Amino acid sequence: MLFAWMLIIAFLAFIACMFEDLESDIGSQSNPNSQIQLAPEMGYIHRYFNKAISGEGLSYALSCTISGTIAMLILLQLESVGPKAAILAIPVGAAVGSLVHMVRSSVCHVGREAAHKRFEQPIYLDVLYGHLLPIATHNFLAVICITAIAYIQSNLGILSGVAGASNPFPLPLLCLIWGLTVGAIGSSTGDIHYGTERAFQDKPFGEGRRVVYHGQICRYADCGVRTSKDVAAFCAKFGGPATGLAFGLIVLFENWRTVIGMTLGGVAGPGWNPSLAAAWGIGIGIVIAVVLVILARAIEKWARNKYGPFVGE
Amino acid sequence: MGEEEVKQEEKEEKAKPKEKFKISFDYFNESRLGIFALIIGILVAIFPGLPAFIKAIGMMIVFVWGADSVRKTARYGLGTGVPSIGVLAMGFGIIGGITGIAVASMSFGTLVVGGVEIAFGVLAGVALLALLGFVSGNLANGDKFINMKIPGLERGMTELGIAGTLVVLIETSIITGTYAITSVLPNVINNGVIAVIFIISAFAMLQPLNTCLGADERRGRTLLMSIEIGGIASIILGLVTALTLSAVQGVPLIVLGAVIWVVFYRAYMKACMKEAYAVKGTGLIKTLGG
Repeated sequence: MLFAWMLIIAFLAFIACMFEDLESDIGSQSNPNSQIQLAPEMGYIHRYFNKAISGEGLSYALSCTISGTIAMLILLQLESVGPKAAILAIPVGAAVGSLVHMVRSSVCHVGREAAHKRFEQPIYLDVLYGHLLPIATHNFLAVICITAIAYIQSNLGILSGVAGASNPFPLPLLCLIWGLTVGAIGSSTGDIHYGTERAFQDKPFGEGRRVVYHGQICRYADCGVRTSKDVAAFCAKFGGPATGLAFGLIVLFENWRTVIGMTLGGVAGPGWNPSLAAAWGIGIGIVIAVVLVILARAIEKWARNKYGPFVGE
Repeated sequence: MGEEEVKQEEKEEKAKPKEKFKISFDYFNESRLGIFALIIGILVAIFPGLPAFIKAIGMMIVFVWGADSVRKTARYGLGTGVPSIGVLAMGFGIIGGITGIAVASMSFGTLVVGGVEIAFGVLAGVALLALLGFVSGNLANGDKFINMKIPGLERGMTELGIAGTLVVLIETSIITGTYAITSVLPNVINNGVIAVIFIISAFAMLQPLNTCLGADERRGRTLLMSIEIGGIASIILGLVTALTLSAVQGVPLIVLGAVIWVVFYRAYMKACMKEAYAVKGTGLIKTLGG
């Protein structure tokens, strides 16, 4: 039963991080945002949505924590109903969280474009209105998954029937931690696909962005002027699922080693030995990390052999 | 290549914000706003018996001060690192807030004069964080240490420490109505409300500058947004307060938050639309050289 819930958590993490990455691509948040911000200053007027709430980690921490707080308040009110109250509490909390996120992104676009007055960057109202709904819906799916994960973790003891499996942290704090994590993974893994392969399309393998080309983003799509919405369709094919897979695997490995360690230590039963459980958990974790490092090195070598070294200037 | 870089540097020079005070905040320049918010914040923080919506107004004034301090500290950068400054302020704030609450819940920390509770003890947290902020500002800026040479960093860090601490204290007293640790622990810390206090206060301080950043950033417009986030914070704190204290404290807070949010959101959006280069329904982009 414990393993089944762990798999559900990993699956929810996969979906959450996939939608998190697509949402940040729609608003060009995080790393690629620096180039979207520089573009008008270099004379490249664009029609991208400039969503500079903050880094992805923090902005997801905000919407997930608000969602978790609202869900906790509803759960406290409906304590007599039992675990079924979560069916109402989690979606309502996530809706409030994504509403706040949408409001925050609406002020971002106008604020940053108004600050580009001297570079003659206008505010396009269709860009503003057209992006808010996709941002809110993608954010809702990410936040609802994160809130569900936090709920499952803080009630795991009751749900799985193994006493002592619940996380000691309260729901909003878990949401804060998970929100920060999902944002951080989405920022580090997914932005590469959007930034280097969509915002800049013409550069040799292995080359970083040269200072000369800063702000020189691709402003035209296959048909007409590109907006951030077009980017989501592109990233949904590879970048989003890859990011989701990265986060899902992290959550899966992390929970897997913990659960196996706890089982070997005799999960809170008569033979419960916390130090044995911790030792097994840490040992399996180190083995997983070593295997991943070797795999990553092999992939890097293969790519360098196939596509050649960096040519330089 | 060399020429291009020089050009870019010139443009970055030009991109420094220009001080123009148009709509409001022209009386409250940086120093006046700081002194005003410090006095209001301390007054609101040491009287935990005040009604929640008055405390919320105090909280918003401290938010504005915090956002102004973030602006002061971070405007020399390109925009990266602005969120970290806001989070740093709230990290200071959590330490100072817990210290202040701990001292205030000791026997000598709170005075009762004619039935009115005066919690002088919280000032210990404020003073500690003023010192800590000043020391960390000096460490970062001093010649012998990291030597970052950011103008006004010491002052900015001190103000951030004080503002963060005051915000945590005021929000705690909104939710619990007292500084007694027996009431603060179950209502704020054990149920995780401290997480929402942390993140939304950090956003009220970090988001205004991060969002309005650019060559034509204007202080009045930036600070409007801080009050707008204060409105959202009041709504959420009102929901929590309605459960921990009573609906009598919570509902006025929600109403106040909603009114403030609508008014300042409208004001901010109008200011942006008015000050932008142009507002177009739709249209194609200007092509280079043509």
